[in-house]
Amino acid sequence: MGASLPSQQIEPTKAADAVEYVIDIVKLCKRFARRGRAPQGYTTFKAALLSFFKSKKDLAVVREEPKAFGIEDLTLRIPKGASVGLIGRNGSGKSTFLKLVTGIYKPTSGEVNVKGRIAALIELGAGFHPDFTGRENLMLAGIMHGLTREQILSRYDEIVEFAELGHVIDEPVRTYSSGMFMRLGFSIAIHTDPDILLVDEVLAVGDAGFVAKCKDRISELRKAGKTLVLVTHDLDAVERWCDEVIWLHQGEVKDRGFPRRVIDAYRSFIEKQEQNEILSHEHEVIAQVQSVESDAGDPKGARWGSREIEIVSVETLGSDASEKRVYHSDDTMRVKIAYRVHAAQDEVVFGLGVSRVDGLPVFGTNTDIDRIKMPALKGEGIVECDLKRLGLVEGGYTLDVAVHRADGYPFDYHKDAIHFSVRSERREVGVVSPPRAWIINGERSVC
Amino acid sequence: MLGIVKELWRFRALVDALVRRHIATRYRGSVFGFLWSLMNPLCLMAVYTLVFHYYMRFNGGPYYHLMVFAGLLPWIWTSSALVEGTASLVNSGHLITKSLFPAHVLPFVSVSSAMVHFLLALPVLAIFVVMAGLPIPITWLALPVVVIVHAVFLNGVVLALSALNVFYRDVQHLVGNMLTLLFFLCPVVYPATVVPEKWRFLITYNPLAALTQFYQQILIEGVWPPMSGLVYVLLVSLVVGACGVVVHNHYKEKFAEAL
Repeated sequence: MGASLPSQQIEPTKAADAVEYVIDIVKLCKRFARRGRAPQGYTTFKAALLSFFKSKKDLAVVREEPKAFGIEDLTLRIPKGASVGLIGRNGSGKSTFLKLVTGIYKPTSGEVNVKGRIAALIELGAGFHPDFTGRENLMLAGIMHGLTREQILSRYDEIVEFAELGHVIDEPVRTYSSGMFMRLGFSIAIHTDPDILLVDEVLAVGDAGFVAKCKDRISELRKAGKTLVLVTHDLDAVERWCDEVIWLHQGEVKDRGFPRRVIDAYRSFIEKQEQNEILSHEHEVIAQVQSVESDAGDPKGARWGSREIEIVSVETLGSDASEKRVYHSDDTMRVKIAYRVHAAQDEVVFGLGVSRVDGLPVFGTNTDIDRIKMPALKGEGIVECDLKRLGLVEGGYTLDVAVHRADGYPFDYHKDAIHFSVRSERREVGVVSPPRAWIINGERSVC
Repeated sequence: MLGIVKELWRFRALVDALVRRHIATRYRGSVFGFLWSLMNPLCLMAVYTLVFHYYMRFNGGPYYHLMVFAGLLPWIWTSSALVEGTASLVNSGHLITKSLFPAHVLPFVSVSSAMVHFLLALPVLAIFVVMAGLPIPITWLALPVVVIVHAVFLNGVVLALSALNVFYRDVQHLVGNMLTLLFFLCPVVYPATVVPEKWRFLITYNPLAALTQFYQQILIEGVWPPMSGLVYVLLVSLVVGACGVVVHNHYKEKFAEAL
């Protein structure tokens, strides 16, 4: 996957001869030892002692196997002054990548070449000693970043002021809140004149005011030609901040390029995965039910009715008539109910209801309410209902379906028959998302 | 080995801050502070003198308690350096996994902190010597040499043990037990002269036992340590130090993952 997208081709346009790469990674491979019997895969002291005398290469073959969080054959160059966002699901290798770039991890094979001074915010309070005061930690962190005592002292006031920690700087950092940790860490990192700033998700714990200040500072660094690598799940931030996005998946570069495009691809990939998870979970549940072979044993415990007419199956489909569990607000949802008539009935009504996962009823209707004339039913058949524009805000929902008599006598009632998700790029609040337009001074814009 | 010495020098400010902190946090919140670190050798000296000298009528000479004390102080340095140093990498795992922290600094800090305690206790020993009516011998001048040799030895052992302990936590338990054994193999509560000839090699060739003797000789007896013995211990220390560096370097790239 990564190999099919040579990174050089998609890099932001710059004079080809003048590009200087501050991070240059060649065929990087990082595998972690299997955990289990013993770390490193050794079983006994004796084995360990014996293997101590073997060459490292032999060992690598014996004890290392690929696993989650690893990185496979990654070639990646980040030019000077770039602002790169790193996205990917949990365990895709993002943090491993950062640790390799900073040198905390050593690669199993391949090369990591970094030019310039790195300041990394890998994790909250990373490298801080809990019993030391903020001031002592500041000094130590400065030393570890390669500053001299004098340099640290000359910047001390500025660092503390930026972190807004003047009042607690002489308290041990174990008493700090996560926001304080982040402020101190970030403040130290940007005051060490980094050429490359690596930020792993930590900005999330800052309050709005401080995050704004950090962002100003990062903008300044970028103007000064520094390189930024941002790892986050906040896709909006990535889009705003980065001029290039790298999508890691299972330790490989799945895609790389302009933020909008890569983020869209990533989002739809995630939705597909989510849908597959929901479907495979349903299949498991169905398999369980069938193995128990008892219609009273619905796993959700909510099916009732006399079964003169039985609901045989329920599906939700997309506009292409394939099974679907993850929708967008604007999508059409087709609910497909298969029924079987055991004893012919009059006044049959099919109904459906949507609730939010927390149980809040969102919408409900049936063929009677919608004044649909039901023909006489016999044998087997299918009833479908198109919800033409779902119009729900992002979240998890459940679908109930039912067949009953007009007076309410239940033939078959399925509560929580289907779980589905709605995804949206908009951040509306509430439950429903009606189609709308804004008219500002007579100028109309549809959204 | 030179590489690691250079690295330590580069991070001297860090080492300095960590050692200070290590000592300060140990006695935080206690009224008598540093005095507590003297209690342990004083109590042991009192008990050993009572038991061996008075109860068992063991004739260790008129200055038995001084010999015990002079042996106990370096022993306590050894034992706390080994116990804390072995666990040092594991205990500071968060520094190694989350930041680019120079791991070899940590065992060095453990050895150095324990050494500071040892050095600070020496004036007390001097007071005891004076109180016993003895002169402070000129051989105290040899102290820096013995201390340096001792420090090289401890650093080598701790560098290796702390690295191994990252992968096998058994090591720290093993060390605790071995120390009990080692204590009685060193001539602290008995003079080396009571050891029968056929067992004497246990004292002569055990660098820790030899060091114990050196301390007793220079601090109490006013005897210069034998050159051959000193050279032997120095060589052993250098070899142990080098081995420590090799073992540490062999494992150091895996620390961040194993912790």
